Amino acid sequence: MRSIQRRLSLGLISVMVIVGLVLAQTSLWLFEMGLQRYLESGLRNDSENLLVALVRGPGGVQLDEQRLSPAYQRPFSGHYFRIDFSDNHWRSRSLWDQELPQLPQAGLQGNLQLGPEGQQLLILRSDYKRFGQAISISVAQDYTPVRESFRLMRQVGLVLGMAALLLILLLQRVTVRRALRPLETAREQIAQLQQGQRSQLDTQVPVELEPLVAQINHLLAHTEDSLKRSRNALGNLGHALKTPLAVLLSVASSEQLKDQPQLAKLLREQLQQVQQRLNRELNRARLAGETLPGALFDCDSELPGLLATLNMIHGEHLDLSYQVRPGLQLPWDREDLLELLGNLLDNACKWADAEVRVSIDEAPHSFQLRVEDDGPGIPEAQRSQVFSRGTRLDEQTDGHGLGLGIVRDIVEVWGGTLQLHESEFGGLKVLIELPRRQG
Amino acid sequence: MRLLLVEDHVPLADELLAGLKAQGYAVDWLADGRDAVYQGRSEPYDLIILDLGLPGLPGLEVLSQWRAAALATPVLILTARDSWAERIEGLKAGADDYLSKPFHPEELYLRIQALLRRSHGQANQPTLQAAGLHLDEGRQCVMRDGAEVQLTAAEFRLLRYFMLHPEQILSKSHLAEHLYDGETERDSNVLEVHVNHLRRKLGRSVIETRRGQGYRFGASPS
Repeated sequence: MRSIQRRLSLGLISVMVIVGLVLAQTSLWLFEMGLQRYLESGLRNDSENLLVALVRGPGGVQLDEQRLSPAYQRPFSGHYFRIDFSDNHWRSRSLWDQELPQLPQAGLQGNLQLGPEGQQLLILRSDYKRFGQAISISVAQDYTPVRESFRLMRQVGLVLGMAALLLILLLQRVTVRRALRPLETAREQIAQLQQGQRSQLDTQVPVELEPLVAQINHLLAHTEDSLKRSRNALGNLGHALKTPLAVLLSVASSEQLKDQPQLAKLLREQLQQVQQRLNRELNRARLAGETLPGALFDCDSELPGLLATLNMIHGEHLDLSYQVRPGLQLPWDREDLLELLGNLLDNACKWADAEVRVSIDEAPHSFQLRVEDDGPGIPEAQRSQVFSRGTRLDEQTDGHGLGLGIVRDIVEVWGGTLQLHESEFGGLKVLIELPRRQG
Repeated sequence: MRLLLVEDHVPLADELLAGLKAQGYAVDWLADGRDAVYQGRSEPYDLIILDLGLPGLPGLEVLSQWRAAALATPVLILTARDSWAERIEGLKAGADDYLSKPFHPEELYLRIQALLRRSHGQANQPTLQAAGLHLDEGRQCVMRDGAEVQLTAAEFRLLRYFMLHPEQILSKSHLAEHLYDGETERDSNVLEVHVNHLRRKLGRSVIETRRGQGYRFGASPS
């Protein structure tokens, strides 16, 4: 997607160039027209002066030299005339050896090349009747200087126009950037949202953005709310199903069924399956997964509570410790991460002799979670079996398959990877790599 | 050992009551959170089993009120809500152990045993040990100098209480309060009979009578 900034600049440049060119060309044309009209009135004046200068002399019609402008005497002065009679024509001395062509009919014409200097002439032909004969007087004026200044004007105008265009573009850039700043802020805030550094967008935005921001905030609140509601509903469902299940399990191992060992065994096995399936599906349904976290996982405040709970369940003889940079926050849902770490640590505690350690490291593109214990570990050949559904390496220790199954579900939803290694303590090391969300 | 069971699901409560009584515990049962707040504080229970989804008052609130009133009785939470976030909440409210439903009854009995021993400063070993005796709580019999001695249910209950409180002076009324539930009529003569039976089986010196004060178990013979 192209940026709004570039699109605005491009649009503005094309509009400015087109309008500027049309405007400049039109004004130049109008100016030239006006100038020609002005020059035409001067030429008409000259031609009338010439007409007046025609007098009847001793040898017929002749030109009164006294009344002629000196410019007609000086060669190539820029002012020329030609007077046509029915049988011959006169030309001004200023024409020297050049011939001023006669226009086919009375009127004005520009752009006539003349003389060695290539003067641009404007010619006016006027037809009169004097002394009983038709006289056509053509007067010409060189307007090369005018054209020269015209060209200069055009060049100055072009330079000025370019400068104005640049200035406007610069100002437009600044203006657009200022106008788009709320958008940029919103973009940054959405990135922070992805990183989990905030849970709502700032509502102090221009009117145009208000509906967008309000809608996003509404969606965020809605997601969080529905997650909370569905978790609550799942909790209720679990409660409603598990309590009767507990009764059945108790009955299955009670005195009343002592005489029917087959039946008791069948009941226990089936109930066990129901329980495992129920736990796994309920746990999976509880996951927030990819939704933006409402509450972040703050290592400093969550880990001590989690470790204390595990100590309570598994006994104080276990030394549980964690290695985390102070203030580290993980950008995933708090309950999901508690479930992930809780199950991993619970498993580690079941196998550990004395020590369990969890450590979380930050890399530029990911987070690394490590859970290690000093228990017997798992032989390399069997490691791949641990996570396959329903496999339990040791039937005695409950939950090896189940707890790690939900761990695998969570890691998969987050697009992470899970590896089993041997710990430096001698036991199992579970290494989880979770990629950061892209902002 | 006298326990309080707070559970609103009647069939489960029935099962648990039967099972726990067979394990030699005196159990009182309540189904409402508000009753539990009051009775947990007024009766001398050795352990409380608390369900979290209770009518009247949520289990966690009940627990918080007990702890706020400085009630130190160990509490085992029994709940279907088994996410780690909820377990941590339970611990923060002051629970001592957490068992999620559904569970095997044996698991519950083992947890209760372990919790009782822990709260009395005893190591968690397969048998309960005090004054040279090894009490097998699962089989309800006692080992003395390598010889197994059979016990009746009443003797087992009494001996277990003594072994969890070695070298302490226990009055008859104290013993009666902790060995019988709230509905059993307490007759101190019955207690005397059981003490005498224990002495006959395990030797006279094992339980010492302190006149006017009560009994003392496991005192080193002077």
